[in-house]
Amino acid sequence: MNDRVKHLFIWPAFLLVLVITLFPLIYALTVSFQTIRIVPPTPPRFVGFDNYGDILANARFWGAIGTTATIVVISVVLQYVIGLSVALALHHNVPGASLFRVTFLLPMFLAPVCVALIAKMIFHPVLGPANEFFTLFGLENLPFLTDPNFAIAVLITIETWQWTPFVVLLMLAGLQGLPAEVFEAARVDNISAWRRFRDITFPMLLPLSAAVIFIRLIEGFKIIDTVFVLTGGGPGTSTETLTLFAYNEGFKKFNIGMTSALSFLFLIVVIVFGTLYLAGARKLTQRYEQ
Amino acid sequence: MEHIEFRKISKSYGAVEVVPPLDLSIEQGEFIVLVGPSGCGKTTTLRMLAGLEETTSGDIFIDGENITDKRPGDRNCAMVFQNYALYPHMSVRDNIGYAMKVHGAAKADIDARVEEAAGLLGLSEYLDRKPRNLSGGQRQRVAIGRALVRQPQVFLFDEPLSNLDAKLRVEMRSEIKLLQRRLGTTAVYVTHDQVEAMTMADRVVVMRSGVIEQVDAPITLYERPANKFVASFIGSPSMNFFDARIENDQLLLGHQRLQLAAQEAERIGDFGRVIFGIRPEHCRDSEAAAQLTFGVEVIEPLGSNTLLLGTVGDQKIMAQVDPRFAAQADAPSTIPIDMSAAHFFDPITEVRL
Repeated sequence: MNDRVKHLFIWPAFLLVLVITLFPLIYALTVSFQTIRIVPPTPPRFVGFDNYGDILANARFWGAIGTTATIVVISVVLQYVIGLSVALALHHNVPGASLFRVTFLLPMFLAPVCVALIAKMIFHPVLGPANEFFTLFGLENLPFLTDPNFAIAVLITIETWQWTPFVVLLMLAGLQGLPAEVFEAARVDNISAWRRFRDITFPMLLPLSAAVIFIRLIEGFKIIDTVFVLTGGGPGTSTETLTLFAYNEGFKKFNIGMTSALSFLFLIVVIVFGTLYLAGARKLTQRYEQ
Repeated sequence: MEHIEFRKISKSYGAVEVVPPLDLSIEQGEFIVLVGPSGCGKTTTLRMLAGLEETTSGDIFIDGENITDKRPGDRNCAMVFQNYALYPHMSVRDNIGYAMKVHGAAKADIDARVEEAAGLLGLSEYLDRKPRNLSGGQRQRVAIGRALVRQPQVFLFDEPLSNLDAKLRVEMRSEIKLLQRRLGTTAVYVTHDQVEAMTMADRVVVMRSGVIEQVDAPITLYERPANKFVASFIGSPSMNFFDARIENDQLLLGHQRLQLAAQEAERIGDFGRVIFGIRPEHCRDSEAAAQLTFGVEVIEPLGSNTLLLGTVGDQKIMAQVDPRFAAQADAPSTIPIDMSAAHFFDPITEVRL
């Protein structure tokens, strides 16, 4: 055996990982301990944890966490509930299922910027069809994008609209992978459709559900494009999400040190939420473990 | 008393008719086995009885009640599936008691019946395990237990032993049979294994392409198969068939003449062309034996007996003879044929003569 050959396989992969992920990460980490401004250019200066301290003391940061968490948690719950319902309907071949299967997936293929632009027209306070609709109920000219609560509700709606198809797609695949005989056995045993869902379908899909929600949570936290186009974080900073906050610091104020620190805090926030979620999900799946 | 009745039920998928109109009645407490090669419609027939498959036409009655349009759950049948179909996330106890629990039985009742069924099936020590941690035989027992506790009016078995190894299959088949006899519940059992069919059934339904070829007690199927298909399907090793002629009370097989048994001679002594069938185990001496010479090609000693494989003219033959029978490969050998156990079929319709 020529053991030296293994180096040929290991090193290129290792170097690649080093160059494209580890190096930028470590570089960003060092930058986060410095003040670096591109405009106006100032020489880097080591400031220790000052950047982190400044951010943590900044109400805007905590506001951004609150906004992001609100949007993500509510929209992911909606995505899952609606997504699973639609998947169940498609799985049971409601009339026109094949048409729906295609159309339901379309929003997912659109670029978020396009989605935001479409939404901007729909939710125009005077000319949009949403206004038209609410006018039927006597609610004219609602401040869809200019009132903080309305704006967040609109963002949640758009997130849900765009990403429910993802949940549908995966849950449908999961449903179709379940053994048909188990459900036939339940039908012969006179188990009602609701109990079949509650006691068999849902528990059997739990591991997949946990994974799907996890993916959506992590992805959801990165929300920026729709917010950027639709409200720009406004009114004020009431709809500013974490990534938009970081973007504003980095590319409007060109405060690179601060932005790097913010990115790492963002990472920590995602890890905290992710860990909390996984702990909860684990407890639930363990109860139904196969 | 008649318990289950199929009246002209049929099943089509689009233009393809899988089961042409079929009639069958099953007695109370009877163990009926549907057997046939794969694709013969036996499983479809069972699933129509369970309600998992809609009938295209015809009616099914259980206890005189037309259940054709009833939901599977309203038919009071319990089914055991080939792949066990256990609820993977429930313990053995929950699997067996689940239906009772959903239907609102008292906890004490459920426990009592689950314990009873588990005891009966030798599952008592596994009650808290998940199906994943059980062997195939144990899983199938759980599936049977699940059917048992419901105390249904009909048991349905869809090839329940196909996924088990040979030894376990032999064990389970007598267990199922015993259990059914003890409970006295009508059972409909589907299998492609003729040995299973023969050993378990009170009556066997032999099917081919959705058509019932014969319904009879196992021994009748063996002794008086209704046609060539049943004759070839039942029995192991399977029956030898030869194109032959009957003239002057004699069977002409190639150049050889075999004297018919007296009874047969009287009945079909001058029939002309026939299909002659003889089971390998009937190549034995008897009062009505005739001698047949054929070229032996392979000798397979099995211990309790020996199989001779060879040809008569250009037709294959397999004979089962005594272990010490003097025969040599690649040499002609003469064996006795018990003509009283011979079968004759019409060469065109293949129906028994």
